[in-house]
Amino acid sequence: MKQGLKVFLILAVLTAVEFAVALLVPSAFLLGLMATAKAGLVIYYYMHIYKLVAEEEITDRESYAYKEGTNRVGLWLFLLSDFFLFAGLLISRFNLLGFTRPHLNQTLGFAVTVMLLVSSYFMNRAETRFKEGDLAGFQANAWITLGLGLAFMLGVVAVEWPLAAAEGLTASGSAAGAIFYLMTGMHAFHVLTGLIFLAIVLRNARHGVFAEGKGWPVEAAAVYWHFVDVVWIFFYPALYLIGTLI
Amino acid sequence: MKTFFNLPIMRGLRWQIFGTAAGGLLVAAIRALMGLEAFGPLLFTEPSWVVGALTGAIAFMFGVGALDDWLKMAAGEAVAEEHHDPPGWQKYFSVSYDHKVIGIQYTAASIILIGTGGLLALIFRTELSRAGLDFLSLQWYNTLMSLHGMIMIVSILVGIAGVMNYLVPMLLGARDMAFPRLNAFGFWVVVPASMLLLGSMALGGVDTGWTGYPPLSVRSPIGIQMFFVGVWVAGWSSILGSLNLLVTVLRLRARGMTSFKMPIFVWAAIAASIISLTATQLISLAFQMVVFERALGMPFFNPDLGGNPILFQHLFWFYSHPVVYVFVLPGLGIISELLPVFVRKPLFGYRWIAMSSLGIALVGFVVWAHHMFTSGMNEYLRVPFMYSTLLVAVPTGVKFFSWVATMWQGRIKVETPMLFVLGGIFVFLLGGLTGPPNATVSTDLHLHDTYFIVGHFHDTMFGGYVFPFFAALYYWFPKATGKRLNERLGKWHFWLMTPSVVGFTLLMMRIGLLGMRRRIADYDPALGFDFTHLLITIFGYLVFISVLIFLYNVYITIKRGEPATGNVWGSRSPEWQVPSPMPPHNYSAEMVVVGEPYDYGRPDAPPYVIFEKQESAQ
Ligand SMILES: [Cu+2]
Repeated sequence: MKQGLKVFLILAVLTAVEFAVALLVPSAFLLGLMATAKAGLVIYYYMHIYKLVAEEEITDRESYAYKEGTNRVGLWLFLLSDFFLFAGLLISRFNLLGFTRPHLNQTLGFAVTVMLLVSSYFMNRAETRFKEGDLAGFQANAWITLGLGLAFMLGVVAVEWPLAAAEGLTASGSAAGAIFYLMTGMHAFHVLTGLIFLAIVLRNARHGVFAEGKGWPVEAAAVYWHFVDVVWIFFYPALYLIGTLI
Repeated sequence: MKTFFNLPIMRGLRWQIFGTAAGGLLVAAIRALMGLEAFGPLLFTEPSWVVGALTGAIAFMFGVGALDDWLKMAAGEAVAEEHHDPPGWQKYFSVSYDHKVIGIQYTAASIILIGTGGLLALIFRTELSRAGLDFLSLQWYNTLMSLHGMIMIVSILVGIAGVMNYLVPMLLGARDMAFPRLNAFGFWVVVPASMLLLGSMALGGVDTGWTGYPPLSVRSPIGIQMFFVGVWVAGWSSILGSLNLLVTVLRLRARGMTSFKMPIFVWAAIAASIISLTATQLISLAFQMVVFERALGMPFFNPDLGGNPILFQHLFWFYSHPVVYVFVLPGLGIISELLPVFVRKPLFGYRWIAMSSLGIALVGFVVWAHHMFTSGMNEYLRVPFMYSTLLVAVPTGVKFFSWVATMWQGRIKVETPMLFVLGGIFVFLLGGLTGPPNATVSTDLHLHDTYFIVGHFHDTMFGGYVFPFFAALYYWFPKATGKRLNERLGKWHFWLMTPSVVGFTLLMMRIGLLGMRRRIADYDPALGFDFTHLLITIFGYLVFISVLIFLYNVYITIKRGEPATGNVWGSRSPEWQVPSPMPPHNYSAEMVVVGEPYDYGRPDAPPYVIFEKQESAQ
C-alpha cells in the first residue's frame, strides 16, 4: 500500500476515534492529544517537514535546487507566522468560553472535517503524481482537491453559518457567536486563498510552465493546503467537541 | 513637475485614493440594497471606510507596481531575473529590488515619519508647557498624543528595517536578500499604511492612546478604524521583512561564515526578526477584533454579552512588549558592532553577546503581563510575570559588561558615530535602571500610568534605538553615498540632543514619582509642575532642532561633501574592504571568511574576509 494512503487511513481512524472519545469521555486533554497526533502525521508525511533539514550537497547557489530549498524555508517561516494567528484565535476561544461550547450541527461539522481530510489525501496524491512526471494524474487529483476544498468552504460559510444563525448563534449576539464566526471565517479565508493558489498552479501546470524539475509552486500549494487542514484539525475539536454545551 | 507626478509612488497614491473611493462606494451600494444608510456624516459610513481603507491599500500596491512580477508569474509568464532601476534619484521613488535601494527607501521613510511624530509631540508638548488648556481641544490633544506614539513605533520599525536591509546582505557577502520582490513589497506597504495612520486625523481622530484599548476604542470616532487598519497593513511589512531576513541569514552566508563568525549585528537582527515574524500576528488579531466589534457588532470585548476586555490586553501586550526588543536589539547590535572599531580592541565576549540577544528575545515572550498589574487580571499571574520580567535584566546586563570590558584600556577615537554609541550606552543605562521598579508589582502599583513610565520608556527608546540609529547613519553614510558627513555639525547634533534627552526624561520621571498622570491634556496648577513641564517642552524642541541640524548636514554633504570612498573608519567588516558606494550586486568576487570579525589591535591576526576571484565563471 502506498504511504499516502496508509497515512490517510490512520488519520481517518483517529478522526472516528476522536468523535467517539468526545461522545464517551469528553476530556479536553485527550482530544487535544489526538489533534496533536493527527497534525503531527500531516506535518511529517504530507507536508514533509523533514525536507527542511535534508542534507544538501548543492554548492551552486544559482541552481534551481538551491533556490527551491530557500523558498521552502521561506514558506515554512510564513506558516510559522500564520500559526501564531491561529494560536491566538484558539487562546481567545478558551479565554472567552472556557470549557463550554456553543450548540452546533454535529453531523455537518463531522462531514466538512472529513471532506477537508480527504482533500488532503488527494492533494498528496496530486503532488506525488507530479513528482513522478504524471501530469494527467496530477491534474485529476488536483481537481478532486479543488472540489472537496470548495465543498468544505461552502459547507462552512453557506450551510453552517445560516444554520447556526437560525438557531440563535449570531455574530453580534454573544461573544460565543463572535468567536465562532471569527475562527471559521478566518479559516475559510485561508481555504479560499489555498483554492486560488491551487487553481493558478493547476492552470500553469497544464500550460507546461513547470518544466523539468521546476515544480516548486506545486509543492508550495500542496504544503499550504495541508497547513490549512492542520489548522482545522485543531479548530474542529475546539469548536465542536471540547467542553459542555452552553 | 510632470516627471514628479508620473513617479510610481505618485501613481500609487492616486490609485489609493481611487481604491478607497471604490471600496467605500461598493459598501455604500450594498448597504443601500440592504435598506441601510448608504452614507454617513463623514461622507461614508464606518463599514465603508474600513473596506475602503483596505481596498485603497491594495490599490496602492497595484498602482506603484509592487505586484507586477507576481501577477506575471501567476499568469504563467516568464519574469526577468535582472531588474533595472531607473537612473539617479528616481529609483528611490520606484519599485526597486536592490536591497541597498530598499534600505535607503526605508531609512528615508523612517526619518520622514520620525519628523512627523516629533512634530505632533511638539504641538501637544507646547499645550502642556503650562497648566490650563490653551489652544488644543481635548479631542485634538488625545489624537496628537495617540498618533505620536503609533507613528513613532512605525518609524522605528521602518528604521530598523532600513538598517537591516541595507547592511545584512553586505555583511553576509550576499548579492541581495533571499526574496527581493517580497522585500520591495515589505517596503511599499508602509506608504499606504502611513497614509491611513495620518488619515485618521481627518476622520475624527483617535482618543485612546497608542494602545487602542477597548472598551474606549469601541466608542472612539471613526478615525480609530483608520488607525487599526493602518497598523494592520504596516504589520505585513514587519512580518514579511523579518521572514526575508531570517531566510537570507540561513541560506546566503558567505563560505566559512559559521554561526559564531557572523558579524554581531546579524545576531541582533535574527533575534529581532524572530519576534516580529511571530508576535506581530497577535496585535494584528487584537486590532482586527476591535475593527469587527465596531463594524459588525461582534462583542469580543463587551462583558454584557460574554466578552472580555482583558483578552485584548493579553493579545496586545503579547506583541507590544516583545516589540520593544525589536526596537532595541538591532540598536544594541549596532553598538556592539561599532565599539570595537573605535576602541581598536576585540569585542569582549562575542558568544555571550550573541546569546544574550537571543535570550532577551526569548524571555521577552513571557513577560507581557507586567503591563497589566493594575488591569484586574487574575492576581496569581502577577508574581510569575514580575520574576520573568526581572530576568530580562540578566542578558541585558551581559551586554553592558561586554561593552565596558571592550572599552577597558582601549584607545578610544571619539568621532561622531562613536559619540552616538557612547550616548546610546549612557541613555540606555538610564532606561534600563528605571525598568525594574516598573516590573516589581509593589512599586508598579504606584508608578503605573504616571510620567515615570513615560520617562523610562523614552530613555530606552532613545538609548536603544535613536542614538544607535544615528550612529549607524553617521557610520554607514559614506558607504551609501561615497561622502562623509560633516564632523562639526555631527558634534553639534550630539551635544544638543544628549543633554536634552537626559534632561526631559529625568524630569518626566521626577514629576511622575510626584503623581503626574500620563496621557492627560491638563493638570492641576496646584501640583506645581508648570515649570518642569515648561523645561520638558523646551528640551523637546532642542531635540527637534538637533535633528534638523542632522538633516542640514545630510543636505550639504550630498551637495558638496568631501569624497570618502575608502575604509573611512579602518574597519575589518567586509563592506568596507571595497570602495564606496557599493555597486548594484555588491561584491564582484566571492567572499570567504578566513578570520575573526573583531580582531582589532592584533597586527598578526588574519583579515576577517578575503575575496576570491572565480577562476572560471559558473
Ligand atoms: Cu513591557
